[in-house]
Amino acid sequence: MNTLKLRKLWVPLAVAAAFAVPQMARAGIYVQCPGDTDGDAKWDTPGEVQPPDTHCMHISGGDGYSVMADGKQLYTFGFSDLTGIKRGTGSIDARLDAGILAATQPAPTIELKEGEQFYLTLSNVGMVLRPDLFDPHSVHFHGFPNAAAIFDGLPEASIVINMGGSLTYFYNIVEPGTFIYHCHVEATEHMEMGMLGQLFVKPAQDGQTFEYPLGSGKTYTQFVYNDGDGATGYDKSYALQFGSFDHVFHEEHIGVQPLPFANLISSYTFINGRGYPDTVNPAALPSAADNPRATDNGGTVATGQPLSALVEIDRASEGSTLLLRLSNLSVADFFSVTALGLPMRVVGQGARILRGGGEVTGKDLSYNTNVVTLGGGETHDVLIDTSGVPAGTYFLYTTNLNFLSNGAEDYGGLMTEIVITN
Amino acid sequence: MTQLLNRLAALGGIALALWLVATGQAVAAIAGITGPNFNLTARTGYISTADGNSVLAWGYANGATMQYPGPTLIVNQGETVTVTLTNSLAVPTSLVFPGQSGVSTNSNCGGAGTGTGVGLMTCEALPAGTVTYTFTATQPGTYLYHSGTKPALQVEMGLVGALIVRPPVANQAYDHPDSAYDREYLLLLTEMDPDIHNQVARGNLSPDMTNYFAVQWFINGRNAMDTMLDDNLPLMPHQPYGSMVLAHPGEKVLARLISAGRDLHPFHFHGNNVTVIARDGRLLESQPGVSGPDLSWSDFTITAVPGATYDALFQWTGKNLGWDIYGTAAINPHTCTDDGSGFDALTKEWCDDHYKPIPVSLPNLQDVTVGMSYSGSPYLGATGALPPGQGGYNPYSGYFYMWHSHTEKELTNNDIFPGGMMTMFVVVPRAYPLP
Repeated sequence: MNTLKLRKLWVPLAVAAAFAVPQMARAGIYVQCPGDTDGDAKWDTPGEVQPPDTHCMHISGGDGYSVMADGKQLYTFGFSDLTGIKRGTGSIDARLDAGILAATQPAPTIELKEGEQFYLTLSNVGMVLRPDLFDPHSVHFHGFPNAAAIFDGLPEASIVINMGGSLTYFYNIVEPGTFIYHCHVEATEHMEMGMLGQLFVKPAQDGQTFEYPLGSGKTYTQFVYNDGDGATGYDKSYALQFGSFDHVFHEEHIGVQPLPFANLISSYTFINGRGYPDTVNPAALPSAADNPRATDNGGTVATGQPLSALVEIDRASEGSTLLLRLSNLSVADFFSVTALGLPMRVVGQGARILRGGGEVTGKDLSYNTNVVTLGGGETHDVLIDTSGVPAGTYFLYTTNLNFLSNGAEDYGGLMTEIVITN
Repeated sequence: MTQLLNRLAALGGIALALWLVATGQAVAAIAGITGPNFNLTARTGYISTADGNSVLAWGYANGATMQYPGPTLIVNQGETVTVTLTNSLAVPTSLVFPGQSGVSTNSNCGGAGTGTGVGLMTCEALPAGTVTYTFTATQPGTYLYHSGTKPALQVEMGLVGALIVRPPVANQAYDHPDSAYDREYLLLLTEMDPDIHNQVARGNLSPDMTNYFAVQWFINGRNAMDTMLDDNLPLMPHQPYGSMVLAHPGEKVLARLISAGRDLHPFHFHGNNVTVIARDGRLLESQPGVSGPDLSWSDFTITAVPGATYDALFQWTGKNLGWDIYGTAAINPHTCTDDGSGFDALTKEWCDDHYKPIPVSLPNLQDVTVGMSYSGSPYLGATGALPPGQGGYNPYSGYFYMWHSHTEKELTNNDIFPGGMMTMFVVVPRAYPLP
């Protein structure tokens, strides 16, 4: 019997085993969101009222599959977006069902606005292809200022949610900037397996108009930070998260073997969960054929990699200043990246404006460069002024050239294209 | 998973038990030896790694006991520092002091028991020999010292340590009030390839360093969870320095971060951003002595590059969480009087959030896995119900935050998770005095 068929059998069995036992399913999926009455983290049912400045989201923590740019399929852990899904009337909670084997690379992007109160519900749908595991999951809002231990996602210091349950995190969003989020349970394993996502907060200053530089005639209404003068203004933004997988780790994992922590290397590198040339595919990548719940296998999971890494800007209609929110969540390596032929200006890092002390009133420390370097857990806000460059296709890639590969296949990996039109 | 958590809890339990036994030792000041005159001996010894192994190492001793890292040398700005190095190793060794200028060696250099020559960074002490190094500590700050003899091997073997130069004003890192702190901690980062040490132990004193591959990561010479044990534990005679960071809400913590090994480490601070005010023993200032650290930057991760030192200020207040970390009136009756800064002068509570409850209900205990340092309550200083045998390793009901390398593979001890380059920062309620 081939393993795919075996896994198809496992899924309903595992789901049943994990959630049919009454005492384990006691709490079940429980979404907390003020004003929401039907547990979908949305205010779309008649009678539901969204309180001002309230933001809700529901995500799963579980397993899934990812397809590398050379076609290799890797078993992964990850989050998926369950926002908007209601419980339904079936014997299995439809929200739970939707999260199973639906992990995405990267995790659903969390986009917030300064001043919001953010209710993030994490439901642990279990790793059904590893029925021997009973791992909890968590969300670590990486860089959250003055974090409270209970919502920091650190398993040693708080509580983390078991399979079949939900935990709602609460964050009072007071700082704009580029953050990241990831699971912190058994951090090396769960992060190598792919529980990694992008998170950024838009500043209260958005919507105001600043001319920058003064006298240039260039005006902005979107900003990276509350800069007070428009210095972090941009016209269009993209969030690009770097990462890497060691395929051996993932293969040993689905093979229920001891995990190679010490020998961990970056054999596949990527941006937004996909290697070049998949990075420039504007569409979601089809779900891996190995995923028993893939739509091709008659399931409901259409993709494990929904987010493109292609950067496009049409200067005629969109303006000329690009913001790239860069982050790295590799568990093994630093990456330096360049945007060949395009000027980079670093205006923020670590979710703070690049001014003295990280304060808006501090001395300007922003700088022009061709290369930025990010280790795991680092973020940089990079502005690219495209007004002086010819239209065309430009490449953003790691200057650690050994990582420009998809496994053994040369010319791939951590690279994407920036397409500039007039 | 459960097994791993249990293992973690057990380790934590041992750590905490030892930590409690050892309380009473001062943790406020950085452990080390004060100058300006030091006698160091390069010796061999065995260090304990948290995977249960025992590894041959070379290190500097203040007396008979070799230690990893070497003794933290603490001197005052302006002092003439003399370090006399005696070599008990079978190979020549030496000392270099990056960041110090005008380091001279004694007139004996090149004479009996010493060596000089082309290609040497400094005067060496031959086996059984002695060399004296002298310099004036002109600039305050955080520095490194290590062997200048075959440093790829000898620093890997453990011949490395920290040097702290204090300015005249107490509780300041530099000659500027913006570098003032309430508590200071040293975080010296290194990594290790035990194969190199095994080759040396077998008598190969020139092992091949080209296949170097680190599988052990340390803060102050210990792997997690040993990092959280107290200083000077009898169980770890050759690794006297812990790195658990304790502070009250609102206190300014100075983290003296040193990247003393050969790899880069993205060192991440849970709890809040840090402000990096100095790099390599120099305040980040546009006008030395005048402007203060106006070139400092804020980040949640420091890219610690080999050989560099960073002085970072960290402060945790719980400001703007949207709920009262000290709990509601029902849980903990208390007052909050805004002193004009938004905080209560005494408790450092953020008064805007006074008595606001936590805005969500937490899952039932049956549905969660409880961390060893969870008090049972989301509120600071409060306790709550815990499942039998879980949690409880948090006598202060403080908040625990991990400070660690975000190259997460470095959170392992020779293939075993968890461990490695990781320690905890604890927000201790003000009701509990800290030394």
